[in-house]
Amino acid sequence: MAFLAFQRITKRFPGVQALDGVSFEIERGSCHALIGENGAGKSTLGKILAGVYTADEGEMVLAGKAIAPANPLAARHLGIAMVHQELAFCPNLTVAENLCLGDLPGHAGWLDRRKMREQARAMLAEIDCDIDVDLPINLLSTGQEQLVQIAAALGTQANIIVMDEPTSSLSVKESENLFQLLAKLKQRGITIIYVSHRMEEIFRLCDHITVLRDGRHVATEPISVSSPDRVIQQMVGREVKQYTSQHLQKNLGEEMLRVENLSSPGKFSNISFTLRAGEILGFAGLIGAGRSEVAQAIFGLDEAATGKVFVRGKELPLGSVNASLAAGIGLLPEDRKRLGLVLTMNCRENTSLTILSRLSNFGFVRQREERSLVQSYVERLHVKTPSIDSSVAGLSGGNQQKIALAKWLARQCGILIVDEPTRGVDVGAKAEIHHLLDELACQGLALLVISSELPEVMNLSRRILVMRQGSMVGELPRNDFSQTNLMRLMAGVEAKAA
Amino acid sequence: MSSTNAAIKSPGLRSLRLQEGGLLIVIFILGLLLTFFGGTVKVPVFETNAQGERERVFRTNAQGEREPVVAEKNKFLNAQNLAQLAKDTSFIAIMAIGATFVIISGGIDLSVGAIYALASVLGAIALQRFGPDGPHAGASPWISIPLGILACVGTAVLAGFLNGGMIVALRVHPFIITLGTMAIFRGIAFVITKGQSIGGFPQAFRDLVRWEIGDGLSLVPLVVMLVVTIIGGIYLSRLATGRRIYAIGGNELASTYSGIRVNRVKLSVFIFSGLTAGIAALLSLGYYGGATSGDGQGYELNVIAAAVVGGASLSGGKGSAFGALLGALVIQLISTGIVILGINQNYSQIIIGAVVILAVVLDQLNNWLAKRRLLAN
Repeated sequence: MAFLAFQRITKRFPGVQALDGVSFEIERGSCHALIGENGAGKSTLGKILAGVYTADEGEMVLAGKAIAPANPLAARHLGIAMVHQELAFCPNLTVAENLCLGDLPGHAGWLDRRKMREQARAMLAEIDCDIDVDLPINLLSTGQEQLVQIAAALGTQANIIVMDEPTSSLSVKESENLFQLLAKLKQRGITIIYVSHRMEEIFRLCDHITVLRDGRHVATEPISVSSPDRVIQQMVGREVKQYTSQHLQKNLGEEMLRVENLSSPGKFSNISFTLRAGEILGFAGLIGAGRSEVAQAIFGLDEAATGKVFVRGKELPLGSVNASLAAGIGLLPEDRKRLGLVLTMNCRENTSLTILSRLSNFGFVRQREERSLVQSYVERLHVKTPSIDSSVAGLSGGNQQKIALAKWLARQCGILIVDEPTRGVDVGAKAEIHHLLDELACQGLALLVISSELPEVMNLSRRILVMRQGSMVGELPRNDFSQTNLMRLMAGVEAKAA
Repeated sequence: MSSTNAAIKSPGLRSLRLQEGGLLIVIFILGLLLTFFGGTVKVPVFETNAQGERERVFRTNAQGEREPVVAEKNKFLNAQNLAQLAKDTSFIAIMAIGATFVIISGGIDLSVGAIYALASVLGAIALQRFGPDGPHAGASPWISIPLGILACVGTAVLAGFLNGGMIVALRVHPFIITLGTMAIFRGIAFVITKGQSIGGFPQAFRDLVRWEIGDGLSLVPLVVMLVVTIIGGIYLSRLATGRRIYAIGGNELASTYSGIRVNRVKLSVFIFSGLTAGIAALLSLGYYGGATSGDGQGYELNVIAAAVVGGASLSGGKGSAFGALLGALVIQLISTGIVILGINQNYSQIIIGAVVILAVVLDQLNNWLAKRRLLAN
């Protein structure tokens, strides 16, 4: 008999059927992968189990008993914990305070700080982690914070842990540590539900895999009988062709961007490169290597930046977004919810945000023109939205990213910097975005693609620049592209020694 | 109306249907209640005599005594009361529209009441010089009135500019800056006037603001309020700069990343807030014919309450000019209603406080219902 069974789980959100009669079972002590495109419902299912959402229909059976956790606390009491991407702690409190928050040790209302610290250290020791318990959470890296979340989950005697896209913002080394930890947890008989997009991780860690598509259950099978190709086919319901970039056949145009000795104290130093029209230049590096910071400096967001940036041979004043915009530079930021979109506005208003001046006469927005323009981009990018006046907050990650990109297409910039263009985006939308970037390069745009996904930069770029700890450490032409070459440069000396 | 229809409609119209529609219903119900339960009042009848003066009408009754003619009127639903209501609403509504600009941008302006007082006082000093006892008595109204307006509104705009400028330059939260300037502006007004009331304005100025269409109906404040609402509404919904206000209130960082000059927009909303305080101050100068540094005490809270009842969200990104007008009207209707229905005045603050909370709760309920409706389809 199965340890945990989902029976005909159904969940609706405004305008979306997130889950539609999903049934499958999970064995005790297994690491069970939950995979599907964005919007397939995998995170929703995890959140229903962890009590973040409640199912509209259907039930869950845990060890023979029907459960319906109404909130995360109820789920905790059932031994179910979720490790979120979003902040699950009070960021201003220390690790120890957060870990003991549910049951602060004390005497007659006085907090026993020593005992609290001991308890927290003991909880962290369970997972061989030695983070300073007096650090406030907001000083921890995402990876460290995840470890604290896992420690907190184990501390409440959780025997089912839901991991939602755990590695999406971890460095390679942090991911490696996490995998080792998960393997240990599995040995202790803890059931892990692993929600992810990343095929390699799933095939390395998990014993079973469940594929969801458009809120429906497609397959649950042991990993041994599956394969990445098979899973992709199950996820999209069709064969996905490996895309070959068209722009590589074209000739490059004039030099669009030249960066000379760009530096910013504490962030990066002496960055120099050039970018030509019709070229896609890849920017590889580990998390924290300073790639996004370079992009921000070129876009005028870094007032402390020094060095020289030339656009079409003309020097660009640093530290002014408006100067960069006027020179035709666009930046698709990495965190679309925080930096890319105004979630209180709709698709139309978000798309036209960069071109309001262009769209207005004497300050009045030409509404008809705005609508038709936005409509054309929504169609061109295949954004799935009920209408251009629908709230952008209600769209799936892939569609939000397309709107964030549409903003810059509408602006018609000559130089476009895209920072992690497909993070948290499903397979289908990812292919569409890659296709689009390729098309833009063919049209003569100069593109700078920052990505932590090596296959992505390798597939798209003509050249790849590698950054490590704020410095440029190498440039690879397309002939030299390989994951090993890139990893060696990205990780630096450590990798050579290993 | 089916939800598919709603989806194609512009968001402006849709939010009108949800937010302002609800307020209009509330105002209508309040009006009905006051009409039916307010009772009647006897008012003397006036007529214009041969010399063009208004005088009371008398008649001789059955006993042969002369007595004034009186007419019975509905206490709430009569032209004088409604004009009075419009005038009382206008001061707060005009400022609430300015406050709505600030609130949509994600800020807050606590200093509007103080700006109102300072603008009143400086406007009053300018006007007094042209008044019957002033050094420039008898100057042409074509000089005195524009100078008075300039002193009053210019002061308010300058005060708004100082607020916005400090918020942007010092990068301090608007709550703190305007909390400080609230005290500073009122303090300046007090020092200038030495706590004295200032009056004695040119008659032309007073006649302009108190201009009546007859029978004691003075509609200038109402007209000014409507004009400010229309201009504010167009600014927010049709102008690129209005869109930018919503954008920075919704997500300041994403707005920066979209090339919006966030500081400029912030500065502009505080200037606008100051401007509306100046306009309200100007109306009050004309209407009451005097100013003291204590004018507009506590207005900032009424103004914010009106904006919030009108649907502005203190977390930014949401609100409308028309909503602010309706919010001010609801609050004024309730205070008027308390008087008309003869409820003990001492309860009025409690009732209004409860209404503000209720309005926000209803708004949240409304959002929740809208979400449910979307779900059902």
